[in-house]
Amino acid sequence: MRDNEENGLPAGVAPEGKIEVPAGGLVLPDSEKGGLVNAWSLSLVGALAVLTFLCTVWPDPYLEILRFLPEGLVVTFEVTILSIVCAIPLGLITGLGRLSRNRVINLIASTYVEVIRGIPLLVQIFYIYYALAKFLQVSGLTSAVIAISFCYGAYMGEVFRAGIMAVPKGQTEASRSLGFNKVQTMVFVVLPQALRTIVPPVGNECIAMLKDTSLVSVMAMPDLMQYGRSFAAKSYLYFETYTVIALIYLIITLLLSKAVSILESRLNYYDKRK
Amino acid sequence: MLRRLLCALLLPALLCSSAVAAEKIVVATNPTWPPLEFLDSDKNIIGYDIDMINAIGKEIGMDVEVRMVAWDGIFAGVAAGNYDVIASGVTITPERQRAFEFSKPYYDVQQIVVVKKGDSAANFEALKGRTVGGQIGTTGVFVAQKSGVDMTLREYDDVGLAMQDLLNGRIDAVICDSPVALYYANQKEGFTDHLAVAFRTEATESFGFVVKKGRKDLAERLNKGIDAVRAKGVEAELIRKWMGE
Repeated sequence: MRDNEENGLPAGVAPEGKIEVPAGGLVLPDSEKGGLVNAWSLSLVGALAVLTFLCTVWPDPYLEILRFLPEGLVVTFEVTILSIVCAIPLGLITGLGRLSRNRVINLIASTYVEVIRGIPLLVQIFYIYYALAKFLQVSGLTSAVIAISFCYGAYMGEVFRAGIMAVPKGQTEASRSLGFNKVQTMVFVVLPQALRTIVPPVGNECIAMLKDTSLVSVMAMPDLMQYGRSFAAKSYLYFETYTVIALIYLIITLLLSKAVSILESRLNYYDKRK
Repeated sequence: MLRRLLCALLLPALLCSSAVAAEKIVVATNPTWPPLEFLDSDKNIIGYDIDMINAIGKEIGMDVEVRMVAWDGIFAGVAAGNYDVIASGVTITPERQRAFEFSKPYYDVQQIVVVKKGDSAANFEALKGRTVGGQIGTTGVFVAQKSGVDMTLREYDDVGLAMQDLLNGRIDAVICDSPVALYYANQKEGFTDHLAVAFRTEATESFGFVVKKGRKDLAERLNKGIDAVRAKGVEAELIRKWMGE
């Protein structure tokens, strides 16, 4: 499910204060290596071309499959967006908690990260939906959002921590010596600078989140994956159905990764002018 | 020359070994469908289908190896040749017949809708606007879809999860094969006190063993086995043992 952040340390904090996207994650398109032919545009054009080709040449299964899926896509987006909205603040709080000098807060945040990171997301989904139903009944959508945002909140906590640590200490010292208190220093000086290093990996996490929403189909949530499985189970057209599903996920993910890279290049505006 | 010699030596050896060891068929089953196939407390796969296919295997002189497979994908596996037979309470439908070869019918069922005790639903109309659960890709779900009644269908990976959600009150009904529904409503501890049979469909469905398209020979052999098992009264015995109807 996830593979790019096992070591727990502020991974990839390079000396000059930049976070490198950890290996194994999604490669964000690099806007500087522009030109028409790059991996990103090749993948997107390829995926779109294959999908169009299949739908025009064999409309019988392929177009039918494509028509079957839009409601599922809506649910997938719904789960993703709600999870992102919950996971980012959770990640920020966790990241700050992990940096806190207050031992209790630090311990709570660290334990949360350790526990959540050690349990597969699929198990967490089952746990929240089926196991906790004994005590507390939540709807499918709520369980999905809770499970995914708790899981990714822990992952993002590490990203935020690394990003904040990458801001040179002198910034904090200067800010404190100019009379800012701790909170002001964090909000006005450290976080804005950390943001530039945090955005790409957080964007990566969001894309991974979108892909991981396919796991919620185990609790009969009618997302894109569930619609696909339902179609395949009815028609026995496994190859055709999952080809379409894979292409749709790929297209969405590619568009999202482009959005993240554009955001990244905007944030790095001042770096480029150097 | 050497090759020929090897062949001459190996061929009889191969023939002999196949003559000595009985032929083996690998049978896939999704053990989430009690009392047709499920896991006992020692994690053995047991149930009507399992006893039936073993009895058939004995009659036709084939060793049976039962393998546990997830329902979602069980058909893809037989098509890919990962196993020879599916014995997992598979209803013979025209759509499935187009994609797979079936043995002759070996057991007849209907669809039953299970609700919580006290719920008065007596037909699909009464489920209008409510939420009905079933196992993904099972005929229960298809029947509910074809009923034309506007209800929310939720397709679970496993009928047990659907029953659990019915118990938890997240869905209003579960639709599945009659033996399974009766098992949950009348036998399964923790469920019988809370669940009741709402109604059953009139249409009868027949279970068949599934083999890969084009394996008519294997289907024929299974048919012979079914006949033999019936003639010997083993089938009646197994029905008494598992179905308890």
